[in-house]
Amino acid sequence: MRSRLPALIAATAAAGLVLAGCTSGGDPDASSTPVAGGTLTYASGDAEPTCLDPHVGGNYPQALVSTQYLESLVSKDANGDVVPWLADSWEEADDGLSWTFTLKDGVTFTDGTPFDAAAVAANVAHLQDPTTLSSTGYLALGKVTGVEAVDDRTARFDLSAPDSALLESLSQPWLAMESPEALTRTQEVNCESPVGTGPFVVDSWTKQQQVVLTRNDDYTSPPADAGHQGPAYLDEIVWRFIPDSASRYAALQAGQVDVIDNAQPDTLVAAAKDDSLDEIDAPRPGASNRIELNAGKAPFDDPAVREAFIRGVDVDSGIDSLFFGTAKRSYSPLSSVEPLAFSDESLFDVDADAANDLLDQAGWTTRDADGYRTKDGVRLAATFPVSTNQSIPAEQSLFEQVQAGAKDLGFAVTLEPLDLSSWYGALAANEYDLVSAPYTKVGPDVLRILYDSAGITPAPSGYFANLSQTDDPALDDLLTRASETSDADERADLYQQAQQTILEGWHVLPLYDQQNHYLVRSEVQGVRALPTVQAPTMYDAYKAS
Amino acid sequence: MRPGRWRRAGRWLVGRLLGAVFVLWAVATLIFFAIRLVPGDPAEAILGGPGSQASAEALDTVRRQYGLDQPLLVQYLAQLGRLATGDLGTSYSLRTDVGRLLLDQLPGTIGLALLSLVVAWLLAIGTAWWATLSGRVAATVSSGLEVVASAVPHFWLASLLILVFSTGLGLLPPVSTGTPAGLVLPVVTLAIPVAGFLGQVTRDSLLDAAAAPFAISARARGESPSGLFSRHLLRHAALPGLALSGWAFGSLLSGAVVVESVFARPGLGRTLLGAVTLRDIPLVTGVALVSALAYVVVVALGDLAERAVDPRGRAT
Repeated sequence: MRSRLPALIAATAAAGLVLAGCTSGGDPDASSTPVAGGTLTYASGDAEPTCLDPHVGGNYPQALVSTQYLESLVSKDANGDVVPWLADSWEEADDGLSWTFTLKDGVTFTDGTPFDAAAVAANVAHLQDPTTLSSTGYLALGKVTGVEAVDDRTARFDLSAPDSALLESLSQPWLAMESPEALTRTQEVNCESPVGTGPFVVDSWTKQQQVVLTRNDDYTSPPADAGHQGPAYLDEIVWRFIPDSASRYAALQAGQVDVIDNAQPDTLVAAAKDDSLDEIDAPRPGASNRIELNAGKAPFDDPAVREAFIRGVDVDSGIDSLFFGTAKRSYSPLSSVEPLAFSDESLFDVDADAANDLLDQAGWTTRDADGYRTKDGVRLAATFPVSTNQSIPAEQSLFEQVQAGAKDLGFAVTLEPLDLSSWYGALAANEYDLVSAPYTKVGPDVLRILYDSAGITPAPSGYFANLSQTDDPALDDLLTRASETSDADERADLYQQAQQTILEGWHVLPLYDQQNHYLVRSEVQGVRALPTVQAPTMYDAYKAS
Repeated sequence: MRPGRWRRAGRWLVGRLLGAVFVLWAVATLIFFAIRLVPGDPAEAILGGPGSQASAEALDTVRRQYGLDQPLLVQYLAQLGRLATGDLGTSYSLRTDVGRLLLDQLPGTIGLALLSLVVAWLLAIGTAWWATLSGRVAATVSSGLEVVASAVPHFWLASLLILVFSTGLGLLPPVSTGTPAGLVLPVVTLAIPVAGFLGQVTRDSLLDAAAAPFAISARARGESPSGLFSRHLLRHAALPGLALSGWAFGSLLSGAVVVESVFARPGLGRTLLGAVTLRDIPLVTGVALVSALAYVVVVALGDLAERAVDPRGRAT
């Protein structure tokens, strides 16, 4: 009785309470009255953050924990609509070159500093200051030239070009608001105890062990779709790091911890049979998990070879068997939680004969001693570096099946399991033909990062986001127009065309949403994934027993 | 005390110290260059890991700040200079002083390894006792157990123990929280393979000793089987095992990498794993140096123990 898309379907103010209950059938406590007090222990399988201030760097482990103590100007509800959080309302100027935000009244940071327009300006300045070493937040604010405090409660963002993704960008935890007073401390201190307006406060951080968060009794600023008002129910959250998947699940079963993240397919199957555990399936926003084909060099610079690979290799049976039905096949470059995601299943019907014909026509007609296709004495080969940090074991096994499927077509796929740094090294050196790289971001603007030809130019670090090396001026134009229009319908239409172009250009083989499953002990109610980046929020959570 | 003996002890100590310094230098050098052979930019590691899409300004700032824009040799010498003064530098990923970080993590891991070593010895001696005193069948069973024990990988054993004692029987917590109960599974996981190895070595020499003339004469004097075992045989049989205890400690430290991750225990092993993944050069170097130092100390202690048990080593 697992519900696949709880975060999408459920809505309204009661969403928080309903969500935890809807994940497993017949839970008698689902409608019980919240109980104040108690300690919740959370076990994260993600890496321990190196800094608790998500302005610094900006990755998912930081988002997971900082959602408990930091808040953003806006949030998203379960329908994917942007809703008020620290900002009550906002308005885009007619020329699209500025946005004016009216801020929530009477909010203070937990160090007593008032939250006002000057604080918003200070946060944007902090994110844009090179010494902050922000990457995610810095990128998201690319078009923002500055923030003007018009009055205490009115902040105006000035832009260099219209940005239809601004609200979605600002909803991300990496752009959360921190006390400007606290930001003046050294980075080392601020990393250990960032100060926000959230329902919990960072009490202590014992590195390699846990972060202890305590309730903010003066809390007044929940997002518009929260389950209640006022302070959180829990007294305290102990945020632990348990990297091993089996231990994490064993600790949950034993009641040593109350919530775990990164639950793996085998664990999910076991948990579905366990009445004392509930699941929250919260796919991450942004791009779907997909295999990208490097169009920047042979053999995938030939669209026919790309088409042959994508239509000739069956991934459905592998996804079914290796993920035990916990992951749903995707046919879109975007995550299914993105309201503007466009799918075209018809492109992905597996047809080995058609694929073989395509390869024959493309000139890969001869075979070598090992049975692989060749052309002018060159083997039809593809290098596939796999990040063992980002690809879970089930996914790595899936890639082995892809390798076997490709062999039947005459493709020699070489899988290279690499640790994260080596993997990025291989990508930066263009030593790959196939790659699967997750990308989490709120909103369809992720397409511009991943498929605009500008993304082929490496950043100073050597990294480039357009790993499929898609270079299509018409697509660039669609993505630029989509990012600048203020008309919602036009935006949706442009993004649909863009996704169609990407799929029909045979640049990607979509697999499934970026998997993000939480398991919660059933006596814990009210845990939900915040529909921005699907990090969990414990604001509405309480322990029923 | 005769002066000759002091001189010998002094020479031994100086030799040990010089050896230790050499080992530490070699470790620092090896790590410094090895970690640069693998792809990945330390500046990116500092900025929250590879692929964080750090801006050019941020990368430049970091490179200047950490001296990564200097030639490799200059960085190497600067690092050796810092290490010589006892400064282990600042961790790239955790942004704190490596020395302080390791001091926090060291007791947990060393304690875990030492406790495991003690338990391994108890298990090895217990099995050997049983095997020597209970006849042929016991000997065959125990030697089989030892072979299996010495061959099981830590991660498999850890998962099995969790499955049986936590998930199945609900007796022990699967995740180590600092309580004595939480220590049981990690210690047993680490101790079993080492016990198997020590047991094999000990039992071989135990059987040799049991057949030796002194054992026969002791038995002729009316010594009980257990008295024979504990007063006569063990002293002989423990020697090769003691000599291997230094090695065993080293393998326990490396086993800690797996065990600390599985049981979510803070410690050097887990720190090392994270540091390697993130290309945190100062932290990797720090953990390697501290482990090497601990290893050198334990090997030296093993030597001393061997001298204490075996009078031949003390003879002039």
